[in-house]
Amino acid sequence: MTTPAARTATPAPSESPAGDLALGKELPMADQPAVPFVEIETLRVKEFIPAAKEALSSLVAEQGQARVIRPVFNWAGRNSLFPLHWGLACCAIEFAAGFGARWDAERFGVVPRSSPRQADLMIVNGTVTWKVAHKLITLYEQMAEPKWVIAMGNCATGGGPFRTAYSVVPGVDKLVPVDVYIAGCPPRPEAMLDGILKLEQLIRERKE
Amino acid sequence: MQPDDLARTLSPKLGDLLLGVEPFEGMAGRVRFRREGALDLFRVVRDDLSFTHLSMVGGVDWVDHREVFYVAWSDSLRQYLLLSTDVPAEDPRVESASSVWPSANWHERETWELVGVSFDHHPDLRHLLTPDGYAFHPLLRSFKLHEPEELEVKSRHV
Amino acid sequence: MSEMWINMGPQHPMTHGLWNLRVKIDGERILDVDPEMGYLHRGIEKISEDRHYNEVVTLMDRSCYVAGLNWEHLYILASEQALHISPPERAEYIRMMCAEFQRIGSHIMWYAAFVQDIGLMTPFLYGMRDRDLVLDLFQSFTGARMTYEYMRVGGVRNDLPPPFLAQARKVLDWLVPRFKEYDELCIGSDIFHKRCDNLGVLSASECVRHGVTGPMLRSAGLKRDLRKDRPYSMYRDVDFDVALADGADVTGRYLVRMEEMRQSIRILRQVLDWLEHHPGPVMADQLPRWLGAPYAPVGKEGYVLKRNYAKGVGFSSIEEPHGEAQAYVVNEGSERPYRVKFRSPVFANISAARQYLVGYRVADIPPIMGSVDPCIGEVDR
Repeated sequence: MTTPAARTATPAPSESPAGDLALGKELPMADQPAVPFVEIETLRVKEFIPAAKEALSSLVAEQGQARVIRPVFNWAGRNSLFPLHWGLACCAIEFAAGFGARWDAERFGVVPRSSPRQADLMIVNGTVTWKVAHKLITLYEQMAEPKWVIAMGNCATGGGPFRTAYSVVPGVDKLVPVDVYIAGCPPRPEAMLDGILKLEQLIRERKE
Repeated sequence: MQPDDLARTLSPKLGDLLLGVEPFEGMAGRVRFRREGALDLFRVVRDDLSFTHLSMVGGVDWVDHREVFYVAWSDSLRQYLLLSTDVPAEDPRVESASSVWPSANWHERETWELVGVSFDHHPDLRHLLTPDGYAFHPLLRSFKLHEPEELEVKSRHV
Repeated sequence: MSEMWINMGPQHPMTHGLWNLRVKIDGERILDVDPEMGYLHRGIEKISEDRHYNEVVTLMDRSCYVAGLNWEHLYILASEQALHISPPERAEYIRMMCAEFQRIGSHIMWYAAFVQDIGLMTPFLYGMRDRDLVLDLFQSFTGARMTYEYMRVGGVRNDLPPPFLAQARKVLDWLVPRFKEYDELCIGSDIFHKRCDNLGVLSASECVRHGVTGPMLRSAGLKRDLRKDRPYSMYRDVDFDVALADGADVTGRYLVRMEEMRQSIRILRQVLDWLEHHPGPVMADQLPRWLGAPYAPVGKEGYVLKRNYAKGVGFSSIEEPHGEAQAYVVNEGSERPYRVKFRSPVFANISAARQYLVGYRVADIPPIMGSVDPCIGEVDR
C-alpha cells in the first residue's frame, strides 16, 4: 500500500476506483476524489462479514455446533466469571483476602459484582440459616443463565460445626444446585482459587 | 464498692423486695431481688449508685424456674454490678428495663425469643434473631438439638 | 414528598455481612431506621451447652471471625473463673500478645472494608497486604489463618516457636510506617473529609444511654477502656494510653482506631520483651482430667466421667476491637457449661442505629455504618 504522500505524486489511472478496493491493490489516485479511510474500512467490513459468515456456517455444517460455537461460549464464560459480591460469614473474609494484594483473584477474570443481574457465579461463603434461605434462592433466581454455584467452606457444604443447630441449613445444596464444593473451615484463599479453577474446568467441558 | 455498701444503700429503699446481696468475683456484687421490685431497683441502681450503663441482659433456664440477670457498669466506680431475679416457669414475665436504660431494648428482645421470658411494657417486643413467627424458645433445656442423622430427612423442606 | 421504606440488605455492599437495614426515607433524607438481624443466627449459645469447655473455643473463632483470638480470650477468662482454674503467667502474656495482634488485624480489616465504602480502592489493597503479615504470624504458632482454636482452659495450647519473637518484631517494624501511609491516603485526602466529617454524630451521654462502647464511645471523648479500668490478664503491667478523639463522628472513629493500633504496637513491644526473658509452662498443672491437656486427646473414659467439680459462675469482660464484650458462663459441676451467654459490642452499637442515622442522607449510610465496624457473626451468634 502506498503512503498518502506518494499517492498525490503519482498520476491518476483512468479506471473507476470502486473495483480496486480489495486488499493489496493500488488505491484510487489524485485527480479522483480520494476515498476517505472510514469508507474504505466500511467497505472492507461489508465484504468481510458475509465471507466470515459463510466460512463459519460451512464450518458449522461440517463440524457441528458442539465443536465450534460451544467452545467459543465456554471460553468466554470461563474467563469472565463474575461472582456475586456478598459475605455470609467467616469465609467471606477469606473471600475478600483472595481479592487482596497477595492472591489477586482478578487475574483469573474473577471480579465481584454487587448486583445478581451482573453475576454468573454465586460463591456461598458461609453458614446459611433458614432465615436467609429464601433470600438466597431469590438471589440465585435473579442471576442470568448460565450460572454456577460454589459452596465455599464446610458450613455451605454440609453445615460445618453448626450442623446440629436449630437454625442452620445443613448444606446449601438443599436449596440451590452446587457445582463445586470447597472444603476447609475456612478454606484458604488458595483453596478458593483452586475451586474457581475447578469450575473453569467444568465449564470447559460443558456440552450444552 | 463492696456488697455491704450495696446492701446498706438498697435495703431501706426496697425493703423486702431485696432478697440479698452476695459477693461476686470481679464485680461489686450480686443483687438478688423479687421481680415486683424490678423498676424501683433499676432506678435506684442507676440514679443513686451511678450504674448508668446497662451492658447485658440474659436469662438462664433452671427448668423449675428461670433467672433473668442484668449487668450494669458504673463509670465513676469503674465496677460492674450483677442483678438477678427469678421468675416462675409457668408465668415467665418481668418488668422491662428499657424505660430506665434504653440499651436494654435489644437484649430483652433476644432474651424473650431465646429464653422465653416476657418483658412487660417493652416498647417493641418482636423477634430479633429468629424468624418472625418462630414458635420455640431454643435456649430452654427442654429444646433439644438435632441429631446429625435426623437432618437428612428434615432438611428436605425449604 | 412521599415517604417509603427501603431495604438495604441482606445482600448489599454497605452491610459488610448478613443483615438488613430497613430505612424510611423522604427523598434523600433518613426519617427512621430499623435494623433487622438474625440472618446469621447459628445458635452458638445453644451448641455450647452441648460441648465440652474446650470445644466451645472452636465456636468462639467463628463467632467473631475478624477477632477470633479476642473472643477465645473472653470465653476462656469466664470459664476459668467458673471452673476455679488459674493459668500460668506466661500463658496470660501470650494471650495478651494474641489479643493485641488480633486487634491490629481486626482494625486493618476494618480499614480495608471501610475505605471501599467511601470510594477509595487502593487502601483496601494496602490493608489486605499488611493484614496477611499479621495472619502469617498467627499461622506460625496456631496453624491457621483465621480460626485458631489456640487458647485452652488453664493456658494456651502450645508455646511459641523459637523464631517467632524476631519475626513478630520485624512485622511491627514494618507496620509502623504503614500506618502513616494509611493516614496519608485518608486523612490527607479531601474526599475522605467531605464524606466523613460530622457524620453519624453520637454524643457521649447518648452512647452511655444506648450501651454503645468501644471506638465509637472513645471518639466521643469518654475515656473508658476496660484494659485500663478493669485490667484483665496482665494489662496492669504494661504501659499504654487510651486512644481518644473528639467530634464523635466517622472521622473521630477512624482516628481512634488508628491510634489504638499504634498503642497496640507499644503494648506488643513490651510483651515480646517479657516473653523473651521469661520461659515457663503455658498450661496450668493439676487440671481435671476431663478438661484435657495440650496435644493429649481426651480419652473415652474422660468424656463419660462426670466429676463433681465445684460449681460456679464466671463473668469476664474484655475490650474487644469493636468494643466491650462480655461472657457469662454457668458451671453446674458437669464437663459441659450449663449456660453460656455472650454480650457482643456490635450488637449494642447497631441497636442504637436510630440515634446516629436519622437526619442524614441515604448516601451517608455506608460511611456511617462502616465506621461502626459491623461483624455480624458476633451480633447474631
